[in-house]
Amino acid sequence: MTTTYKLPVGPLHVALEEPMYFKIDVQGETIAGLDITAGHVHRGIEYLTMNRNFIQNITLLERVCSLCSNSHPTTFCMALEQIAGIDIPPRAEFLRVIADETKRVSSNLFNVAILAHIVGFDTLFMHVMETREIMQDVKETIFGNRMDLAANCIGGVRFDLDTERKSYLGAQIDRVIPLVGKIHKLYLTDRTILSRARGVGVLSKSDALELALVGPVARGSGVEYDVRKKAPYAAYDQLDFEVVTGSDGDVWSRALVRIQEAEVALDLLRQCLQKMPEGPICASLLPEVPAGEAIAKSEAPRGELIYYLRTNGSDRPARLKWRVPSYMNWSALPLMMKGNKIGDIPMIVNSIDPCISCTER
Amino acid sequence: MPETLKLIFQVLVFPGGLFALCLGLCLKGFERRIRARLQRRVGPPLLQPFFDLAKLARKDTTIPEGAPACLFSALPFAGVCSMAIAAAMIPITGVHLAPAGLGDILVLFYLLAIPAIVLMLAGSASGSPFSAIAFSRELSIMMAYEGPILLVILTIAIRVGVSQGGWIALSLNDIIAYQQRYGAFLFDPVMWPALLAFLVFFPANLGVAPFDIPEAESEVLDGPLLEYSGPLLGLFKMMSAMKAGVVIGLGIALFYPNAPGGALGLMCFVLKCFVVSSLGVAVLRTSMGRMRIDQAFRFLVIWPGILGLVSLVVVLWRY
Repeated sequence: MTTTYKLPVGPLHVALEEPMYFKIDVQGETIAGLDITAGHVHRGIEYLTMNRNFIQNITLLERVCSLCSNSHPTTFCMALEQIAGIDIPPRAEFLRVIADETKRVSSNLFNVAILAHIVGFDTLFMHVMETREIMQDVKETIFGNRMDLAANCIGGVRFDLDTERKSYLGAQIDRVIPLVGKIHKLYLTDRTILSRARGVGVLSKSDALELALVGPVARGSGVEYDVRKKAPYAAYDQLDFEVVTGSDGDVWSRALVRIQEAEVALDLLRQCLQKMPEGPICASLLPEVPAGEAIAKSEAPRGELIYYLRTNGSDRPARLKWRVPSYMNWSALPLMMKGNKIGDIPMIVNSIDPCISCTER
Repeated sequence: MPETLKLIFQVLVFPGGLFALCLGLCLKGFERRIRARLQRRVGPPLLQPFFDLAKLARKDTTIPEGAPACLFSALPFAGVCSMAIAAAMIPITGVHLAPAGLGDILVLFYLLAIPAIVLMLAGSASGSPFSAIAFSRELSIMMAYEGPILLVILTIAIRVGVSQGGWIALSLNDIIAYQQRYGAFLFDPVMWPALLAFLVFFPANLGVAPFDIPEAESEVLDGPLLEYSGPLLGLFKMMSAMKAGVVIGLGIALFYPNAPGGALGLMCFVLKCFVVSSLGVAVLRTSMGRMRIDQAFRFLVIWPGILGLVSLVVVLWRY
């Protein structure tokens, strides 16, 4: 079996959560080349945003993607606040961090769980999802929703934590931290995970820099780039945390970065509860939004998310454009895939945690 | 004539055909429930495999364009038939003796290979690239486990054969009679390497984790079964259910056939099947992920091979 043949993976494939089409050149069981076809879930959201006013757009942007559903409206609000010259109250900055980091824990655990499912280790999958479920409950209790938090508004946030909710959140964090610690240990030691994930889909640090990768994918290859540290927004400059990096640049290393980031996120949540000042949660009275343009960026669970907003003095964006982390990260797939086995395809695709609905909107 | 009738009954109803099918499906339902409980899920009803079959039976079958329709639809029947015959050849202590008319343990050995061959042919007949990958995976796994299992069978046959004054005993009935007289091989340390080799063979043959590589859902979309639907898919499900019964039954016959006669013997057999299936299949599937094909091939060639050789050498040397 030395002849090359084409293997279609997608557009709908059980191992891919979203539609994406890979045409993979295969020699026997080894991957020789890769061709990505995208655009199956294009919904024209960039155009839609130009037909809605700013407040309506927050709701729309929340629905770009379910897993980064909080990062989109937050970043959009940040860009808008820059143009309108709104200073958000200190308490709102902390609350934005809380919303963001809660989503990050869930999102990272979800990806790590899928990894276990792909290697056929469903017990571990169930175990991680069970832990993630606690975070889902947290979201439902505090925000009223399990996925779309509807946490943001222009000039601040739409939710507040009273004493009761604060102590609830604190208690849940204390419950989840040891569980995530256990998961961390499992991924470090389990034989199935080690034999399937280590040395698979390797990406060197220089390649990661060359392709301008972001998020856990870049950090898994040892690139220490995190928007929360490099260009702090919200309350991140007042919080104490380290950027997690891996060294191997393989699937395993990226998974470990995600688990450790979930641990960091839980720690950030705890710090927020301690350091959060009292005060209003939203700037009062929206000013007129003048004509102008702004760029805002934040660290979504998958990496750097950049929003560009241009206004023309009306209540609608003249242009809204965003670059999502998956757009950068999937360019690394051909490099990661080459020379690996067919059985590794889903692992490698999952390891960049692609968010197709964000990328193709 | 009554001999022939009896043989037909044995193949179609008991212990082949119907009985093997029901046993296999019950084992599967039970195993799924245990697995669910181990993963802290509720799990499906115990009779879910029966419901699944009933559902598939009422559906239409789609034959993919470009597939040879005759081969495509004949293969599942061949698989089920081979397993019905194989099931009739598995003796149940005190209840059923392997009929001489069907052949000895070597015939059974070949029959056990038929499901894998059927799956490979079905995969390549359906013309899907995923099935083609599954074909090569199934083939390499089979190449890896067939050798060692032959060594195991040879070991046992020689041990029993020598005690009978000959060289080799190829009848499962003789093997069982020997164990009933001298004690089960399960408790004999000399036979433990062979037992271990068989325990590795058994998940590989049944396509259970960590060897569920040819049918891996998240890698090759159920592999050979990708293009199958409706009653034909149901036949494949029947085949794999019966195969589970046959392979577990073979293991019981080879290593722990001891049981009283009559209805109690049948109950013992069924009970042993359930224990093996819940301990072997369910626990294995919950505690492990899938190997990659190259890893599995290396593992299957090296470990059961060594174990099989060791047991053969030990038996040749001692008896």
